[in-house]
Amino acid sequence: MAGHKPVKRHSSKRIVIYNHKGGVGKTTLTINLAFALASVGKNVLLVDSDPQCNITSYLIDDLTLDDLLDHSDDEEQGETVWSSVKPLVDATGEVKTIEPIKQGQRLFLLPGDIKLSEFEVDLTKFWTESLERRMRGFRGACGLSILVNQVASAHNIDYVFYDCGPNIGPLNKVILLDCDYFIVPAACDLFSIRALKTLGHTLSGWIRSWDTIVSQAPDGIYLLPGRPKFLGYIPQRFRVYGEEPSSTYRSYFSKIEKSVNSEILSLFKKEDASLATRAIKDLRIGEVKDFGPLASAGQSEGRPMWEVSKGSPSQREEAKRAFINIAKTIVKLTDEGGSASDS
Amino acid sequence: MSRVKLSTKDKERIERVVKHYLNADSQELVKRCKLQVEALMSTSEDLARHLHSTKSRIKEPKHLRDKLIRKAISCQEKGERFDITPENVFEHITDLVGYRILHLHTKQIEVINRIVLHLLKSERWFIMEGPIARTWDNEFSEYFNGIGIKTVDNKNMYTSVHYVFKANEQAKCACELQVRTLAEELWGEVDHKINYPHKAQSLACREQIKVLARITSSCSRLVDSIFYSHEKDKKVRRR
Repeated sequence: MAGHKPVKRHSSKRIVIYNHKGGVGKTTLTINLAFALASVGKNVLLVDSDPQCNITSYLIDDLTLDDLLDHSDDEEQGETVWSSVKPLVDATGEVKTIEPIKQGQRLFLLPGDIKLSEFEVDLTKFWTESLERRMRGFRGACGLSILVNQVASAHNIDYVFYDCGPNIGPLNKVILLDCDYFIVPAACDLFSIRALKTLGHTLSGWIRSWDTIVSQAPDGIYLLPGRPKFLGYIPQRFRVYGEEPSSTYRSYFSKIEKSVNSEILSLFKKEDASLATRAIKDLRIGEVKDFGPLASAGQSEGRPMWEVSKGSPSQREEAKRAFINIAKTIVKLTDEGGSASDS
Repeated sequence: MSRVKLSTKDKERIERVVKHYLNADSQELVKRCKLQVEALMSTSEDLARHLHSTKSRIKEPKHLRDKLIRKAISCQEKGERFDITPENVFEHITDLVGYRILHLHTKQIEVINRIVLHLLKSERWFIMEGPIARTWDNEFSEYFNGIGIKTVDNKNMYTSVHYVFKANEQAKCACELQVRTLAEELWGEVDHKINYPHKAQSLACREQIKVLARITSSCSRLVDSIFYSHEKDKKVRRR
């Protein structure tokens, strides 16, 4: 269609904590890192792009969520991520701007929706149409990204975190291609380590495939950047004895490191060296041990792990330190010229 | 057939160009481009209503070789440098991907042209050339000019409207679209079978193909006339 306003990408840093393997602690990590970044003074937008809506139910009460989901199909009242992209699916118009739900001073949430699983079906079609170089395909594939642009610029966002479902579906594909960075959470078990192999291949395949699409795309249209940098990995949920991870878990650490190096880092270096600039030893950007009751208490209370009513003060203090440290590392690593909220 | 002999250097270069065209990346590119043009043309139901049939193809390597040989010879004859290389072959040869729209009578080009230009614009293709009508028939020439389509004289005796476009300004692979009547297609097919890659040696054949061109042109004109009278007649009866 002629007369489309040109869309500019907002400068906020988009990050996804991604592993297609389930149960590695993606959502817990995402939400606590978002809280941590907000507490060090960054404006953070959480985008719940998992049809299971875990992060949304983490943050808002069930009644409010039910109400949101009941009205999400409504052209006027819909306020979920699905309500926003629905006009693209119905081919009735462009992305609808929705208001994020504010949590505290600096945290914003774009609520998820179970109907996003339907959007997955349409995204498969949009992807094929993008390969066919159809404008409709590009608009569909970039819909979520355009929504994030609108909300990020309206609320002066510094960091955007997408929360993803555990799969390699088309929704996760467009999210990864929209992100500036991805972080891999890795649980300390053999299945999780094995999963790293398919992860590296999948991601580099997506990047290559989008490159092909971009090379044939029309001039001057908005496109996903398709250049997610590998920011690092975070071993999760290991047990400790005393101050240190137990010897079993230490051996998992080295297995994870080996796998990350051969299955992700080396693949990315081959694909595009600018996507993997740091050495393997610097890629472990933190670790999150098993904080026992804190994680589940966080979920039920809708708070960061370090502000829950369960556990001991020293446990909470330790959790806070762990997440704030990772948050600071992320800020340091992603600081490529000032933040939006500083200006 | 020309008497000019190609130098070994030119021959080798032509083989390098053909080899490059045959490599996996080039083939993937032309196939993708063909698929994209097919997708573009199939999006418009309006277009489907006005055309008779469509064809698409990617250039066969041996036809590319023949074309390069013809170009090299023509360069030699004119004393120009033959400068097509593996690096620039996609820039110079703009019909590696070809799409053809066939229709019944000449005046359908007006609406087909409008739809094609609208499609190219709304799907934001980069138009490099066209629409240009190649024709040798003055009456058709006048008609095309009247509906805003530029014309060039065609020393080959057929009438066809051409467009060249690509995915974006930097894109490597272009596509050539040809729009012509079914009658013109007949002439084109016969000429192609008889005169490509090498011009027919038989004087009778060459002569007859020229006569066929006149009959083809008259045939197009006759179909035009039938449709014109038919439409007029319908209007009169409606009154």
